[in-house]
Amino acid sequence: MNTDSVTNAIPSNVPAHLVQDFDLWAALTAQGENAYAWAAKLHESMPPIFWVPSLGFLPGTWIPRRSEELRRILQDPETFSSAGLTPYPMLLGESWRLAPLEVDPPDHAKYRALLNPLFTPKKVNALEEDIRQLATQLIDDIAQTGRCDFNEDFAKPFPTLIFLKLMSWPLEHRPLFQHWTQTLIKSSDPQVVTDNAREITGWIRARIAECRANPGDDFTSYLLASQIDGRPLTDDEMLGINFLIFIGGLDTVTSTIGLFFRHLARNPEQQAQLRADPSLISDAVEEMLRSYSIVNMRRTVARDVQIGEATMKKGDIVLISTELANLDPEVFDQPEKVDFLRSAGHAPHMAFSYGVHRCVGSHLARRELRIALELWLTKVPPFRIASGTTPRFNAFGIFGMEELHLEWDVEETK
Amino acid sequence: MKIIVDNKACAGHARCNEVAPGLYELDDNDYISTDGFDVEVGQQALARRGARACP
Repeated sequence: MNTDSVTNAIPSNVPAHLVQDFDLWAALTAQGENAYAWAAKLHESMPPIFWVPSLGFLPGTWIPRRSEELRRILQDPETFSSAGLTPYPMLLGESWRLAPLEVDPPDHAKYRALLNPLFTPKKVNALEEDIRQLATQLIDDIAQTGRCDFNEDFAKPFPTLIFLKLMSWPLEHRPLFQHWTQTLIKSSDPQVVTDNAREITGWIRARIAECRANPGDDFTSYLLASQIDGRPLTDDEMLGINFLIFIGGLDTVTSTIGLFFRHLARNPEQQAQLRADPSLISDAVEEMLRSYSIVNMRRTVARDVQIGEATMKKGDIVLISTELANLDPEVFDQPEKVDFLRSAGHAPHMAFSYGVHRCVGSHLARRELRIALELWLTKVPPFRIASGTTPRFNAFGIFGMEELHLEWDVEETK
Repeated sequence: MKIIVDNKACAGHARCNEVAPGLYELDDNDYISTDGFDVEVGQQALARRGARACP
């Protein structure tokens, strides 16, 4: 892939004063612990919609920063298409799509209808005990050690185990899944991403073949028995849905929970606030989802459109930056401030996106986050960043903590 | 005040029910199961919040 020629070309419809010559993801990564406060300041320094010449290995893109505009874009899939928004099929030289994520209405609803029943609040309620038990096991293993590698010991295994349980896929494949999702989504090296995408599609294709021969009660067998427009799913549709589930189900909670726990480790008074009043945990989850949004999606302009000063041409790419939407001072006073009492229940944040593609797993994610906080604060004494370690933040694609080590004082048991 | 639901547009996000659980009733798949209802005085703010929560 010749990235240079792609990244440096500024289309003729982009006026010079809207071009901002920085890579948003690289800049956020460089800001480290200051990334979200820095992102909030972009609302003061940037035009409402600006254009950057590159994002990692992806080409130039429009970046709307205002919550209102991002919401309108997400609610207008006829103008802003989701087709081809991830690089994975293209990197492999294949033509399947991640359904329903990369499918526009009206077909979108047919795929979404297959997934919705698996992630309803009722289904999540039924999983509550499993989630609690898995979290308890992981926490009990480390509570007495006084120190942990938060990613390896909790943030990765916790959602991965729940995911494998929910899918009824083999639990012993957990290390494989953890490795794949981390490198697939977080790597800025297209070769690494391609190799991982190939391994994942290999695993999925083998799974499909296995389930076709011996149907079970797992997710893949469920899809094989499902129909769209009165016909079974094609191999490409099977692959696309299974691949999407990988991306959506695994890394997002890992990344989010890392940012939550870094915040609590750095802000002992807010940790104490939740320990003193656990009924605030649900509000804290919402406020930290708002303050530390991790997902950047993209849309492709399907027909010429004018938004404010931005003349967007068919084929242009638009970034959907949930962190910018959620740090918009027009919607949130002092957006850079994390205040658990801010929302009093239901803040209109966009961490799970908006419109038809809104996160199907949001009910599950919220539950996992709430239970993780509840159990940690019950079972582990006040924790802080481990001495001699530096948390490392990465903002490529899906934002999250690359490194996070925590420590706490363990009471001597006699 | 009366809430009118466009049932065909429901995508099963269940946000309305999460924000205003007593008002927006869902079916077994957590799609909206009512096409509308009258809102009692005192519950109007809650009903509005539930409607606004729809993606």
